[in-house]
Amino acid sequence: MHINIDKLTTHTFKIVIAPTLAIFLGLMSAATLAADTIQVFSCEPEWASLAEEIGGNRVKAFSATHAQQNPHFIRARPSLIAKARKADLIFCSGAGLEVGWLPILIQKAGASLQPGTNGYLMAGDHVQLIEQPHSHVDRSMGDIHPEGNPHVHLDPRNILIVAKELTKRLSNIDPGSSEFYGKQFDSFSKRWSEALSGWEKEIKDLVDHPVVAHHKSFSYFVNWAKLNDVGSIEPKPGLPPTIRDLNNLYTSVKDIDELLIIRSAYDPAKGATWLGEKTSRPAVVLPYTVGGNAKVTDLFSLFDESIRLIKSTL
Amino acid sequence: MSKSSRFIPIYALLVFFCLQGNAVAGNHASLSEIKKELAAIQEKYESKIAELESKIEALSAASAGNTGMASSKNLPRKAKKVSNFNPAVSIVLNGKATSFSESSGEMEGFAVGEEGERGQEGLGLGESELTIAANVDDKFYGSLTAAIVREDGSDIIELEEAYLQTLAGLQFIDGLTIKAGRAFWTIGYLNEHHAHTDDFADRPLPYRAFFNKAYNDDGVEVSYLLPTDFYAEVGMGAFRGDDFPFGGSDGEGIGAWSAYARVGSDIGANQSWRLGGYALMGEAKGGRTTEEGAITFVGDTDLYGMDFRYTFAPTGNAREKEFILQGEAFWRDEDGTYNVGAGDVNHDDSSVGWYAQGVYKFAQKWRAGVRYSELESPDIQAGLVGTGLDGTRHDPRSTSLMLDYTNSEFSRWRFQYNHNELSRTSNDNQFMIQYIMSIGAHGAHKY
Repeated sequence: MHINIDKLTTHTFKIVIAPTLAIFLGLMSAATLAADTIQVFSCEPEWASLAEEIGGNRVKAFSATHAQQNPHFIRARPSLIAKARKADLIFCSGAGLEVGWLPILIQKAGASLQPGTNGYLMAGDHVQLIEQPHSHVDRSMGDIHPEGNPHVHLDPRNILIVAKELTKRLSNIDPGSSEFYGKQFDSFSKRWSEALSGWEKEIKDLVDHPVVAHHKSFSYFVNWAKLNDVGSIEPKPGLPPTIRDLNNLYTSVKDIDELLIIRSAYDPAKGATWLGEKTSRPAVVLPYTVGGNAKVTDLFSLFDESIRLIKSTL
Repeated sequence: MSKSSRFIPIYALLVFFCLQGNAVAGNHASLSEIKKELAAIQEKYESKIAELESKIEALSAASAGNTGMASSKNLPRKAKKVSNFNPAVSIVLNGKATSFSESSGEMEGFAVGEEGERGQEGLGLGESELTIAANVDDKFYGSLTAAIVREDGSDIIELEEAYLQTLAGLQFIDGLTIKAGRAFWTIGYLNEHHAHTDDFADRPLPYRAFFNKAYNDDGVEVSYLLPTDFYAEVGMGAFRGDDFPFGGSDGEGIGAWSAYARVGSDIGANQSWRLGGYALMGEAKGGRTTEEGAITFVGDTDLYGMDFRYTFAPTGNAREKEFILQGEAFWRDEDGTYNVGAGDVNHDDSSVGWYAQGVYKFAQKWRAGVRYSELESPDIQAGLVGTGLDGTRHDPRSTSLMLDYTNSEFSRWRFQYNHNELSRTSNDNQFMIQYIMSIGAHGAHKY
């Protein structure tokens, strides 16, 4: 074989390979000292929060996105590649929400985190997805997910279904603590069911109330609270509205009393604000996820605060 | 592939085995085993059908206005699985309208290859790319990209990439990936990206001069992602040594080697960065032919490079506003002989090339960018004075301004202005309008 050995050993080795090796061997020895808590890589804050509810102090949950970010449009950042590779569980919404970046992380992650394995948990795989396109899907229709709407966490009933699956997954990863996770789930389930019946009472008087959301990200909430979806700021999912789109929307909703206009913290304010001014209705920024406003620190306060904000405008 | 369609060949196979079993009459033990398996399969099939039925029910319930979802108790728990088209096929359409103020785009001091040359003027297609990719099985992923390009008046197919990559199912060590075949290998930032994802309509000068646009030799690359809290990846490659800046490999041994290391991390919640160091060393054994056959180089070429990329989303949401800063620098060391048609002339010197660019997304659909790139030409022997390799003490440089409009993730229009001073006497003002349209599967983007 023709290899320029003398060059490799002197020139390259000295300036490239030797320092690199030294640095990385150092890093590796530091990495092996990491604690043995279960590392959960969540794509969105709501799932990190749920992982903390069930996993308690035996789990360290990380969220790839924060409440000011549209989880569909982040980059496969180097830090995320590193985090995913070290994770014991990848916990995301799925249903195409993270399709632009998660595959890159998964490809670099270990065998125990691949689709179909215990370490790969997509909430969308375990709940009933709504807004599944019935027949033809085409990109001229905007950013429609053929799988259905992926923003599943805003139906509080889904949280419990996903929590149960999460408990199972955590127990498989860390069988020694399965009793602990079971107890945590029982406690969470009890508290959640109580909260849920409280919320369901509170949303009773919202039934059929007309609502315009910026994006289809609130569909599960709208569906659960039985609000009446009368339109979206986006003319098609994912497409920003033009002035004409907004005018058309205004024409179709201008005669509605007490119109509810909602958007998430990461949606652009312009469209909702414009419609709010035209209809003299407040454009409400709902928290959407944990951290969406200062009061929302967990999943309970997410729904408390969302319902409170909506009711405060009526 | 959906589970049910994957299931059919297994079923057929079992039937086949069953028939085989009958042929070898008398082996009752294995026959009953097969029957048992068949029964198990049938059971699985039936459960599949039941699942499908429940899906249909769920669907019709959903279409009936979601009225059945009032209580958590009757909420259907099974998700609908969508079978993805297999393999994923994507097509990129790419066209340009270009105008140059100078008749020649020669780069003084550098002998460039076909694809490193200034593009054609007027209306014309860029590379039309067809990519077919899929997981081969549980252990391998395969991808093929063919570009149809116009060269010397005829449309030819260039095989840009045809590689396999190991999946986690094969990883005996977590984090270790092997890629083999032909690919845009890991050197710097742009090289491993397809040109249609670039932020400018043409590649910066160091890529044109040192890589003939991109290095995609035949070979193999091993990479290892370290189990560290921040991103750290190392890799090495071995290549045939046929692609620019090498050439004419006789296939004996390994023609070129590479090594790289990359680190990266976040700064707070809205900024992230990556830094890399690269080396690519090899030999043009049979000669690297450039300038349409007029100049041939035989000998060793060593390239050392660095790249840097920084992204910042001022509002946190990169969808709305984002700033990207990116730069690469390469040192090229050549040791061999140049032949410009009058015999071999010894050459042993180095040259440098770098670029830096900033791109700002100021609205959801609009981005503006600026790029500067420069080359420092090498010193030459007396025998090359007056040839295309004579840098005449001039450093080629190029300044670019870009504005692009991204209607959706799948379509983009770009306007670009270049001011190129590639030779002492040339002041080339270039205007470009480019479109990039993606049809079909749209994979995730690298950082």
